Amino acid sequence: MQHANRTLTSGLALAAATLAGVVVYAQLDGAGPGRELAPPDIAQEWRLDNNERDTFGQAPLGDYTGIAFNDAGRMRSDTTPESIWGTLEYQCRPHSSPHQWRGLGGARILKEQDPLTRKVSVYHIQFMRSLDRPIYMDGRPHPPAWAPHTWTGFSTGEWIGNTLKITTTHLKDGFLRRGSPQSSDMYSMTEYLTRHDDVLTIVTVIDDPLYLDQPYIHSTTYTVAQGSSLTMETCSGSFAENGGSDRHWVPHFLPGNNPALTEWLTTGDPRSNVGPENWVPLEAARGGLKTLYPEYRSTLTGATVDAAKASALTVPTLKSWTPASKAIADQSPRDGEVHVMPVQGNVYMLVADGTNITVSVGPEGVALVNTGSAAMSAKVLAAVEQLATTVVAATRPNQCFGATCPGVWGWSSPYIFTAINSPAPVRPIRYIVNTSAAAEAIGGNAKLGPAGSGFRAGGVGGVVDAVEGAPVIAHENVLTRLSAPAGKTPTAPMSSWPTVTYFDEFYKFPAYFNGEGVTVYHEPAATTDGDSIVQFRRSEVISAGNLFSTVSYPVIDLEKGGSIQGVIRGLNHILDLSFAEYRSQGGTWIVPGHGRLSDTADVASYRNMLVMVRDRVQDAMSKEMTLAQVKAARLSLDFDGRYGATTGPWTTDMFIEAVYRSLQEKK
Amino acid sequence: MRTRILLTVIAALVAAASASAHHSYTATYDTRNQVTLTGTLVQFVFKNPHSFVIVSAPDAKGVAQRWSLEWSGVGQLSNQGVKRETLKPGDEIVAVGNPSRVPGEYKALLVSLKRPLDGFTWGGRAGEAVD
Repeated sequence: MQHANRTLTSGLALAAATLAGVVVYAQLDGAGPGRELAPPDIAQEWRLDNNERDTFGQAPLGDYTGIAFNDAGRMRSDTTPESIWGTLEYQCRPHSSPHQWRGLGGARILKEQDPLTRKVSVYHIQFMRSLDRPIYMDGRPHPPAWAPHTWTGFSTGEWIGNTLKITTTHLKDGFLRRGSPQSSDMYSMTEYLTRHDDVLTIVTVIDDPLYLDQPYIHSTTYTVAQGSSLTMETCSGSFAENGGSDRHWVPHFLPGNNPALTEWLTTGDPRSNVGPENWVPLEAARGGLKTLYPEYRSTLTGATVDAAKASALTVPTLKSWTPASKAIADQSPRDGEVHVMPVQGNVYMLVADGTNITVSVGPEGVALVNTGSAAMSAKVLAAVEQLATTVVAATRPNQCFGATCPGVWGWSSPYIFTAINSPAPVRPIRYIVNTSAAAEAIGGNAKLGPAGSGFRAGGVGGVVDAVEGAPVIAHENVLTRLSAPAGKTPTAPMSSWPTVTYFDEFYKFPAYFNGEGVTVYHEPAATTDGDSIVQFRRSEVISAGNLFSTVSYPVIDLEKGGSIQGVIRGLNHILDLSFAEYRSQGGTWIVPGHGRLSDTADVASYRNMLVMVRDRVQDAMSKEMTLAQVKAARLSLDFDGRYGATTGPWTTDMFIEAVYRSLQEKK
Repeated sequence: MRTRILLTVIAALVAAASASAHHSYTATYDTRNQVTLTGTLVQFVFKNPHSFVIVSAPDAKGVAQRWSLEWSGVGQLSNQGVKRETLKPGDEIVAVGNPSRVPGEYKALLVSLKRPLDGFTWGGRAGEAVD
């Protein structure tokens, strides 16, 4: 009995110990009743396993096997050469995000933890040639569509079991894998990181609504690299690697003129020593949704594709994204509202019903670049006043206590002044600049100009007083376009006209404004003959006006002296004035006339696109193609989904015609 | 002995890092063709991940152009005896390279380089290739 009791006691003790152990273990790894198992720790150094296709070496040029390219994606890839890396604005860009996991040098994952809950709030992923890439785990939303795009994008993460799902938006254009397959800047990326023991598997799903008919998916494997440290490579690009003497050189192939695309037909695939006779047929290697499915084999006879069979073949479609047209329109919403986007230094961007207004706010008052449409004037004025109050005049909480607080006039508790204070009146609009005579540039002049007060210098007694209304600055061709001689009807009422015009290459504000110099540069024969850009020199911001848009082709008004050559010259000028902060992004911010806030790489991408389209049209003209033939040839197919339109005030056909006629006039 | 093994490993790692450039050589240059340039060295840019030799030399039409010749990184070139002071502005050189795939672009991937004045040569010997 005693033995039985002892056995029972021992058994109970063992069970209790076991349970306690379970509890202790459970507490250690985070599991337990009502508690989920803690996710695996992925924060460490990782080594790339080069045992998957395309992780080392690259597919032959023109080989798009496994990519569901549509015609636009294929055309963009065929015409964009690797030499684009040599341009000044791209020399230091990191690998595009779809390829970054497959780049050389391993990966490092770091984590930030909440000091109280120990929950991971942010992971940071780094590669040898990359920028720091934060993955926010705290549930924050993604930025609005008018926020900038970067090489690494904006990422949020969530754990699903032992898999970290990362969703990334706001990505710049780039490439899907080394070599040539390109992506647009409207793609999003979903990654699934799963750790099994010392192996990390990354499945990457790339949705590009402009260039892909189905997501491009690949997996990459890493193993723990205990004790190693990620190699870091800074970039020292500083001159035109592409040779020649044209710093604005844009390398590209004319459609159908890239001889490298079928080179592999004679060389085979160097990665695997597979000869061309054993490779997939040329048409299948050119990618496309149908080529991804086994049923595609039924259309082949040897290496020959039966076009009729291929056309009749139906396969599932897995499109899962937001339509590109909506995502693009969201960058410049016509929603009747004013959205405020802080830019840098003194400068803010107002997204006002489809038009961007650049605002400098500071202790001297407000300067506006463009005034938006007349219909939005009241909302714009209210937004400007609220912004000025918030930035300059807002009451701030007391931050010091007692007689040690600084004071000039004799001490009194700052708390008292904080408690009984009220905001000082905001300084008014001091300057308005119109970058062209377009309706959305001058539409609010009549209301916003009189609401402001310009500076009046001098006078007896030297008092600097306000004059009636804020001066409206523009190139004199804007005034010419808006006004009319006596007896004739002007195109806009006098209340909308510029009051201070310049005729030269540039106009400087008469003195520092809000602590910085502001220069207005004329960009001749661009969208019109009166275009300007505005540079805020200390804030490092350029307001580009209608030279630059992220939602449409440039609206070139030939009747008012515009030309494609002038727009390209103007964009090159913006690039000459701008700096990247690091690795070809950030630094000088460029506010487009319409669309998302941008940097030098975005302007370069837009410039590159216009150069490619211009050269294609020029080539067609050299072959004596008529305007109708050029339009029918769809020479801008790879960019039409991004910037074109088939309806509305500025269609793709109108843009192509403007390019064609510009080249005829050779401005 | 251990030091030698370690140095060998480091050298191999440096070589590997240089071997997979951020951009692709074979995609950038037509490695099946070569162009020969006889001209004057403007600048030798000795840097990572790639060095460059800038040469003023005539193009196919006889017009002088600034050619940008892409070379290996600092680690690889140092192992081959090429140093920052090896080439000087004003040197008359003969360079052979794989031309860019893009028509009208004045750049090439260096295959060999000679300086007739003193007989300096690079290219052709074991390891003397940009890869």
